[in-house]
Amino acid sequence: MGIQKPDLLHRPVSKAAERHPDKVAFRCIEAELTYADLHARASSLARALQESGVRRGDRVGLYLNKSLESAIALFATMQAGAAYVPLDPGAPTDRVCAILRHCEARAAITHEARRRDAEAAIQGSGVAAVIGLDEPLKGIAQSLTWDQALSAPPAPAVAPGASELDLAYIIFTSGSTGVPKGIMHTHASGMSYARMAAGLYGLRPEDRLSNASPLHFDMSTFDYFCAPLVGATTTIIPEPYLKLPASLAELIEAERLTIWYSVPFALTQMLHFGDLAARDLSSLRWVLYGGEPFVPKHLETLTRLLPNARFSNVYGPAEVNQCTWFNLPGVWREEDSQPPIGWMCPNADGLIVDEERREVAAGEMGELAVRTPTMMRGYWRRPELNARAFLRRPNSGQVDDVYYLTGDLAWRRPDGALMFAGRRDRQIKTRGYRVELDEVEEALAAHDAVAEAAAFATGNDDGLVLIEAAVVLRTGAVACDRDLAAFAAKLLPSYATPARLRVVDAFPRTTTGKIDRNRLADEAAERHLGGA
Amino acid sequence: MLDTIKSFIETELLSGREIDSGENLLLSGLVDSLGVMRLVAFIEVKFGLKVPAADIKLVNFATLDAIVAYVGARAEQ
Repeated sequence: MGIQKPDLLHRPVSKAAERHPDKVAFRCIEAELTYADLHARASSLARALQESGVRRGDRVGLYLNKSLESAIALFATMQAGAAYVPLDPGAPTDRVCAILRHCEARAAITHEARRRDAEAAIQGSGVAAVIGLDEPLKGIAQSLTWDQALSAPPAPAVAPGASELDLAYIIFTSGSTGVPKGIMHTHASGMSYARMAAGLYGLRPEDRLSNASPLHFDMSTFDYFCAPLVGATTTIIPEPYLKLPASLAELIEAERLTIWYSVPFALTQMLHFGDLAARDLSSLRWVLYGGEPFVPKHLETLTRLLPNARFSNVYGPAEVNQCTWFNLPGVWREEDSQPPIGWMCPNADGLIVDEERREVAAGEMGELAVRTPTMMRGYWRRPELNARAFLRRPNSGQVDDVYYLTGDLAWRRPDGALMFAGRRDRQIKTRGYRVELDEVEEALAAHDAVAEAAAFATGNDDGLVLIEAAVVLRTGAVACDRDLAAFAAKLLPSYATPARLRVVDAFPRTTTGKIDRNRLADEAAERHLGGA
Repeated sequence: MLDTIKSFIETELLSGREIDSGENLLLSGLVDSLGVMRLVAFIEVKFGLKVPAADIKLVNFATLDAIVAYVGARAEQ
């Protein structure tokens, strides 16, 4: 046996390029990249990044619509020894700029089609090099076009000094203080997850995976990292398809996808508007869903429409990738109002703890803590969050077992299945996206006319969670709900912007004087029922 | 018809942002999936027609021009 090189997340691409160069790695609309193409282009772009000054440990922002270029950019960044930071192409440019500045990105990869947004987001962010624009941005000396970058000679497969413990990517998510928090994953944690998931779902070389999730959503790591391990093909689905259920169902049929992975919302939209009965979706052998609960009645209808597919519920905060699962059917019991989140994954250990962080008695509810090699390194430059996020428990008096405290409340059924019971804090999920309601309130309160803001979640029977808000204006100030909504939309990603907003004279208060957000939510629900 | 649909998209879905008739509304989060469904509901009520699920696809909904062409063709049927 030869000396092993470090087991890095981009390495399966170069190995697949050696073993089966002509196998298709990624497809997007009509275009595709074989493993040989992908490896060659990622190696050239990696060199171009290094020549632009990117070194091991640096951060590179990816500011791209989902495309074959985003796959090349992601693997190239890791091959250059840097961590990729996927940026939401739909987010306000100020927010993107703030993330680039906060993570001190050395370079950004974008596309000419995004030039206008790139100017606003990248200029002034401190980024020193930009790849992907035809003309340089003002004030940024180092600039290469995609063609120039892809004609660079190949970079070495492993950057000098690279280790599995290096950061591979940082995913930014809503933070309660209004500053997005960066979840740092290493090559080791990402690879542990990819190997575990590929094994759990028995991935094969002939599989065709979906990439429904955007890159800044942690689910995308399954699509990008599992497929190269076995030499399978991933179809990147551009944003517009996900908004048009009939086009999406057509695409699954045309691409003969075998493994689907998305939030339940995309699946229920297809169920309602996708004309599924008219489609031949018999190629699907796995439907994986996660990010939020699936409304049982819709899940049951879908399982009947797709009799060839097995369904699996995937649970796990982005901080630990996936940590529990269950496959349908077989775990659902009549007396359960909702299905469980599942059993711990083969490489994970779950612990339920009380307020004092002691393990609860069997069957009692508490906060779920998870110990797994798929766990993040920590939050980027947020020592106060890192101090709270982990639970250290001495083991044998020698080493500490380190658990991530999920903030999710759970209890364990006698058969071992974990049941979800809400959040410890004010984080909510809307269409799979995590949103801290505190962040929504901070954004509204930043408006000059606003004295106080309250954000709350309302839901409907379809399991759709909407963010709503009410604001009280400063004495004498004038602002209408539309101005305020437009203001918030400049600070928040679209999924976190309140769907409904009302200006009110005063808030209902609890006996302790706090804003009674539960009452606001109840009142809003009544108004919607009344059709107002 | 173009102005009615344009004004609905601009005021109701995009918080006042103006659009060009050939601009792709679905790229990079300009109109999201809920927005598409609100637009479909608006068209059904405003123009008194039923939009079948199978018609809610790219060729009919990517741009304002495409939406106007689709609604025009449906109204003639």
